[in-house]
Amino acid sequence: MSAEEKFDVIIIGAGPAGSACAYILARAGKNVLMVERGSSPGSKNVTGGRLYTYALEMVEPGLYKQAPLQRRVVREQIMMLGENSAVNIDYVNYDFGEDVPQSYTVLRAPFDEWFANEAEKQGAFVASGILVDGLIEENGKIVGIKAGEDEMYADVVVAADGVNSFIAQKAGLRPDIPAHTLGIGVKEIIELPDEIIAARFNLQGDQGAAKVAIGCSDGIAGGAFIYTNKGSISLGLVLNPEQVGQKGRSIQEILQDFKMHPAILPLLEGGKTVEYGAHLVPEQGYQGVPSRLYRDGLLVVGDAAGFVINTGTIIRGIDLAIISGAAAANAILNSIEGTHAGPLYMEELQKLALLPTMKMFAGWHSIISIPRMYKEYPELANDVMRFMFTVDGQVPEKMSKAMMNIAKRHVAVKQMLGDGWKLFKSV
Amino acid sequence: MGKVIACYKWVPDEADIKINSDHTIDLSKAKWKISDYDKNAIEAAVQAAQVLEGKAVSLTFGGANAKSSLKDALSRGPDEACWINSDLASEADGFVTATVLAAAVRKMEDVSLVICAEGASDTYARQITPRLGAELDWPVITSVSNISINGNTIRAERQLDDCIQTVEAELPAVISVLPEVNDAPLPSLKAVIAASKKPVTELGDKDLGITDLTSKTRVQSQKAYVMIRKNIIFTEGDALDQVKELVGNLKKEGIL
Amino acid sequence: MAGIYIYSDKGPLAAELVGFAKTTGKAVNIVTFDQNSAASAAEYGADKVYLLAGDSLLVENNARAAAKFLMNEEAELFLVGSTPRGRDIAARIAGYLQCAMVSDVSSIVINDGQVSTERMIYGGAVIQSEMIDGMAVLTIPPGKFEAASGTAEIATVNINADSRVSLITTAPIVKKGVDISAADKIVCIGLGMEKKQDMQIAQDLAQVLGAEISCTRGIAEERQWLPQYIGISGETVKPSLYLSMGVSGQVQHVVGMREAQIIVGIDINDKAPIFDAADYGIVGDMFEIVPLLIQEIKNI
Ligand SMILES: Cc1cc2nc3c(=O)[nH]c(=O)nc-3n(C[C@H](O)[C@H](O)[C@H](O)COP(=O)(O)OP(=O)(O)OC[C@H]3O[C@@H](n4cnc5c(N)ncnc54)[C@H](O)[C@@H]3O)c2cc1C
Ligand SMILES: Cc1cc2nc3c(=O)[nH]c(=O)nc-3n(C[C@H](O)[C@H](O)[C@H](O)COP(=O)(O)OP(=O)(O)OC[C@H]3O[C@@H](n4cnc5c(N)ncnc54)[C@H](O)[C@@H]3O)c2cc1C
Ligand SMILES: Nc1ncnc2c1ncn2[C@@H]1O[C@H](COP(=O)(O)O)[C@@H](O)[C@H]1O
Repeated sequence: MSAEEKFDVIIIGAGPAGSACAYILARAGKNVLMVERGSSPGSKNVTGGRLYTYALEMVEPGLYKQAPLQRRVVREQIMMLGENSAVNIDYVNYDFGEDVPQSYTVLRAPFDEWFANEAEKQGAFVASGILVDGLIEENGKIVGIKAGEDEMYADVVVAADGVNSFIAQKAGLRPDIPAHTLGIGVKEIIELPDEIIAARFNLQGDQGAAKVAIGCSDGIAGGAFIYTNKGSISLGLVLNPEQVGQKGRSIQEILQDFKMHPAILPLLEGGKTVEYGAHLVPEQGYQGVPSRLYRDGLLVVGDAAGFVINTGTIIRGIDLAIISGAAAANAILNSIEGTHAGPLYMEELQKLALLPTMKMFAGWHSIISIPRMYKEYPELANDVMRFMFTVDGQVPEKMSKAMMNIAKRHVAVKQMLGDGWKLFKSV
Repeated sequence: MGKVIACYKWVPDEADIKINSDHTIDLSKAKWKISDYDKNAIEAAVQAAQVLEGKAVSLTFGGANAKSSLKDALSRGPDEACWINSDLASEADGFVTATVLAAAVRKMEDVSLVICAEGASDTYARQITPRLGAELDWPVITSVSNISINGNTIRAERQLDDCIQTVEAELPAVISVLPEVNDAPLPSLKAVIAASKKPVTELGDKDLGITDLTSKTRVQSQKAYVMIRKNIIFTEGDALDQVKELVGNLKKEGIL
Repeated sequence: MAGIYIYSDKGPLAAELVGFAKTTGKAVNIVTFDQNSAASAAEYGADKVYLLAGDSLLVENNARAAAKFLMNEEAELFLVGSTPRGRDIAARIAGYLQCAMVSDVSSIVINDGQVSTERMIYGGAVIQSEMIDGMAVLTIPPGKFEAASGTAEIATVNINADSRVSLITTAPIVKKGVDISAADKIVCIGLGMEKKQDMQIAQDLAQVLGAEISCTRGIAEERQWLPQYIGISGETVKPSLYLSMGVSGQVQHVVGMREAQIIVGIDINDKAPIFDAADYGIVGDMFEIVPLLIQEIKNI
């Protein structure tokens, strides 16, 4: 094979995981090829989300300042929706992000394109519009990739190809991923003038809000989110696809109902949907991480490795993707031409606190699997509020008795205690 | 053995045009692309260069953002790229564009054939090819759907509205190809990688030694065509219900 | 002689351009390149018909000489019918004269020697207006102006045609079927239809509707199933009903039919842009929807 056909590292997928990895390797002088199937990085990614900026700091201090970020999140809101009512928890902290801002809302298409570009500036080679459709294996080691007729070799191949990683499956590291371990996400970008966004979400300047909502999914496991961007808001749902199927409803219909909810509609009114996309999300947290994340010559990072934390109130995937990309890059740099990069990668994942963090949130999967989280509890919260704020001149029921009655109407006491225990155990 | 030049234009994707409330247009969110049919022109140039045993060179006259087009163009097969980097490109009319392209072709020397597409995706003026030919005072063949080159002679089939002509000319010549002339394949991984190693010549308009580059036409306004339609999509019930709804509405409209 | 000069390889279109030119009050002259065209052009109401007599079988080969002629005559405006030959010769003349040219204009206003034009760009999504001082070459599609008539004298000027491109053969394209630009109802097929024999369902639908069949560019030019297609590079139609199946509805196609009274789209992809252009739409497989539609129309 000629020098033309060999790289130090080939990275498959130019999402946040791939670009972080490419950036660090190229900066260290490695000959890196990053291959992306979309016509440009980001073009295949579903728009909108929030990014915890600490992750970019780990790649390069100060890098986040150049990133095409939207709004600095200072306002966190949790909404529990009832049929025609809502309980809103609004936490605002104007200190959020004084030094390195904690999180920013991002639009993925420009963000991914920017990040890949930064990697390119460091010297990585980015080939867009190319689908990797196979791996080259020699004596049990992954030594390269196939794309159509072409073959390309490398010391190490990094699979950063996202959820449902075809490459990890090809390499035998992931079995076929069962449907119930994945959430289906749909997102829309709705354009609205900045003044209106500021007024509706109570924001100033570059401040942003992140809102999550439960009780809006027709009892299906999952929730909704709304993030404020510049000149638009991202709105979407992440749901369990099996349950969507069982209900016989389309996710678009559920999204439509959510948008029409009396507590949501006023936030969107007058806006124009300019983008729509659907994508899968790993849902199982730590349990969903494959038992092996490497093979000789191959490392698996980001969504491909199942690195997503979904607590129902926050989804963290982009930051974990970046951290795992950085971990893979460090491991490769610490190895000699990629040999034993795998065990070094696992060490880096510990060092950068990724695996420990995933473990810490491990219990959440069982909580978000509690079906009552999506219907009974939000309804219960709404009934409690209704009781507390109803004044009609009658002698009210005794508080404790009323609460009990409300609770019983929605859930059996035993179940509630059980769910409470689960919650307590896992946090 | 001369060069074959493929002219392509770097244009915003018309599908990404946003319309402001006053019907002016917003291109700030648009992705840019090699004008659709210019991909066929590039492929035709690569094929012709093979026959002529010469080099295929892509040529574009574009602003700073056309830099992103070079790799894309080269991954489609040309041996070299030439980019006339100029702010004038965004407001250039046919006169300026043809003058600049002609000057670039002259500067390249030893050019056998210049291939443009029938029309660009943005202007679709179908003007540049004959104009460029006139600037160079070379023979011109437009609307070409088939090319064969034999020695120094090009034979081309022209697809016109009422006939198909076969014509011949001696090189050098300027031609415009229809998209039907070939299937422009998607670039392969190796082609994309090879593209980054190919030579690129970047010139400013000043390097071309042209004195007058003032557009002869002045753009006064660009307004979106706003389509107002009922946009009723029947979604209730099964296919038969939807068809019944449609037929009912067409009856009401007096169409049926 | 100063004034407006006109050329079209389609006689009736030249007459329409004369119709417009006469409204400006300027002298109106037609340029032709062969005896027969000159004879017909003499009936189009111009002040004068020039026969630029060269000896080439390709009209485009007269461009260089015609440019010189127009310069000598100090022409103020050169109007050319928008056809493949017309656009070619017009642009070459503009090139030799190094003057302004606007292609496929949809409107022209002449005021104090300034010419204002409108034309579509971005496939028809945007209308651009431009202003020109001095000599301009404009190409104009048919159907914009009333044709003029009246007799003119013919003046013959001998020219040297450019002989560098030579004509080897000509194979006429015989357009079978009706002219869709005049059709009252149109069923339009797109690349969503994969097999030629599937055109039968379009034909069946057209029959119950009393419609003509047309298509998108790919169907006509690549697959060559039908002679005429709709769009910016094809025909412009204004039927009372335009109904499409398997047409995505890109702007370059829509621009050719958006003046239809009622637009109906049938496409399997709910995000196809055809639905933004349509009055009524059904998201579904044409092979399921269209047979039902035929049946329902028959039931009326
Ligand atoms: C609805 C929804 C909302 C979310 N919200 C958030 C949020 O707010 N915050 C957050 O942190 N995370 C969020 N996530 C999760 C987050 O999007 C992912 O965890 C993150 O994008 C993972 O990054 P990645 O680089 O591993 O993969 P991806 O971003 O999926 O990138 C993979 C890339 O690989 C390319 N590719 C795939 N296969 C191939 C191939 N064979 N050849 C070449 N290229 C290939 C793809 O085109 C893609 O560009 C959300 C996810 C969804 C679905
Ligand atoms: C400069 C320029 C000029 C052009 N001029 C013209 C022009 O004059 N006229 C023109 O037409 N085009 C023109 N085009 C091309 C135009 O941009 C589009 O590419 C073209 O119109 C697309 O044709 P289509 O809709 O037939 O095919 P596609 O875009 O491939 O759409 C096919 C559609 O069929 C649907 N489909 C598939 N299967 C089924 C099924 N079973 N049932 C129902 N639906 C199905 C698909 O969902 C899809 O929406 C031009 C392009 C350029 C760049
Ligand atoms: N700025 C440009 N740079 C290079 N080629 C161009 C440019 N503008 C037009 N062309 C070529 O001329 C063709 C016809 O353009 P137009 O006459 O504008 O429709 C295009 O398809 C290109 O091949």
